[in-house]
Amino acid sequence: MTGGGDLTGGYQDTGPAPGDVDLDRVWLGVAAQVWRRQPGPAERAAARLLRSPGLARALVTTPSLLLGWVIATVVILLAGVGFTLGTGTPWVALLAPAVAAAGIAYAYGPGIDPAWELSQSMAVSDRMVLLIRALVVFGLNAALGLAASAASGAAAAVTFGWLVPMTAVCALALAAATVTRSPNVGVAAGSAGWVIAVLAGQAAEGRFTAAITDSFFVLPYLAFAACCGAVVLFATRIPRGTS
Amino acid sequence: MNVELTELTRKFGHTRAVAGVTLEAGPGVFGLLGPNGAGKTSLLRMMATVLPPTSGTLRLLGRDPGGYGPRREIRRRLGYLPQNLGYYPGFTVVDFVEYFALLKDMPPGQVPRAVATAIEQVGLGDKARVKLRTLSGGMLRRVGIAQAIVNEPELLLLDEPTAGLDPEQRVAFRALLREFGERATVIVSTHLAGDVAAACSEVTLMDAGRIVFHGTPAELIARGEGHGVGDAPLERGYSAVLAAARS
Repeated sequence: MTGGGDLTGGYQDTGPAPGDVDLDRVWLGVAAQVWRRQPGPAERAAARLLRSPGLARALVTTPSLLLGWVIATVVILLAGVGFTLGTGTPWVALLAPAVAAAGIAYAYGPGIDPAWELSQSMAVSDRMVLLIRALVVFGLNAALGLAASAASGAAAAVTFGWLVPMTAVCALALAAATVTRSPNVGVAAGSAGWVIAVLAGQAAEGRFTAAITDSFFVLPYLAFAACCGAVVLFATRIPRGTS
Repeated sequence: MNVELTELTRKFGHTRAVAGVTLEAGPGVFGLLGPNGAGKTSLLRMMATVLPPTSGTLRLLGRDPGGYGPRREIRRRLGYLPQNLGYYPGFTVVDFVEYFALLKDMPPGQVPRAVATAIEQVGLGDKARVKLRTLSGGMLRRVGIAQAIVNEPELLLLDEPTAGLDPEQRVAFRALLREFGERATVIVSTHLAGDVAAACSEVTLMDAGRIVFHGTPAELIARGEGHGVGDAPLERGYSAVLAAARS
């Protein structure tokens, strides 16, 4: 304790405040500490990993990474596990790509960001925010889907077979959401694309799981995902100035 | 010069929103006046690096925003308040201002104090922890101003900043503008001649994508002497210049 006054008898008489104390400045210091938001562990980890607190903050505010959305994803996949165990049809593998596509479509864009124009004028580029959010949403959905698939006791071919189609469906959802500036269109495009792929697999080989287990489709899926990725890059390009 | 525009043009389809604007601006408060559709917002959006020009040259803070590195540096030192600023309803005032401070790449250690300063400057200290969904339109506008000034910008672009502010708040805001204008370039797009007369050292009047007047508020007032319509001298100057440009 500094000051040397008698602290045992109640208040100290410190006399009048010095005339040169800038109370506004003092208050700003107090307010800065009182109002300071404490980032959660996920945000701190992301900030260290990405080496950008701004990017980390943008990541943890992703709509499809919020707790409610993640819980909904888990519930859907758990339902898939139940149906898979009950019917023998790999519902997790059929559901996971569509669920992931919805998450990707709601990761970023003018349709879900009320302050989109302002975000575009920021030093942390909106393209980088989109990339990071999409990667993390994809990774989380892949991890949840794999866990659900493993829990449903599906064969290894089914457990991992949907990851490549999921990549293509997510890329389609992202491209549609980005180009049309509407996450709902992205969800619809991704879901419709996946349904068409599954039905086409059934028509060709007579079983629903052909779209997941047939290795013949891997290259077309990857090529399609690459095309959709190119569309996203084109749609989010920052046109160069003419100066 | 913080802003150097040369023959800057922006087309939307066949419409030329901004048609060959040439302008230079150093520190000070610049008013951008003009009727609806004059091209003010498009011009501000180009200066905010949100909208690329169709042709012409644009240099901001001595840099060409066409390249990634210079554009990022410009954006670090830029404050922008769009005409229609959306808000995240679940954010508090502090959350919102802090979010954009971080996206402006401010050093994290400086952010809490900068956020507190900006919020106090717009008079929202007592609402700092309040969710945006509960605030009035005027308060939300002040939140938007707070995020624009949080990084002590060298170039501050404000599109209709006083919309929704009551007279007392507008007076305080003009004082804030003058204070910023001493060390930064502040460009304010507004419909309110009173804001220009009270806060701006220079005024630019746009019509149909072109600059039809550039000078001091006093010079604009002089253009309206004996001409024009309007209740205030500046409004008469405004209408006289517009009438002359259109004739």
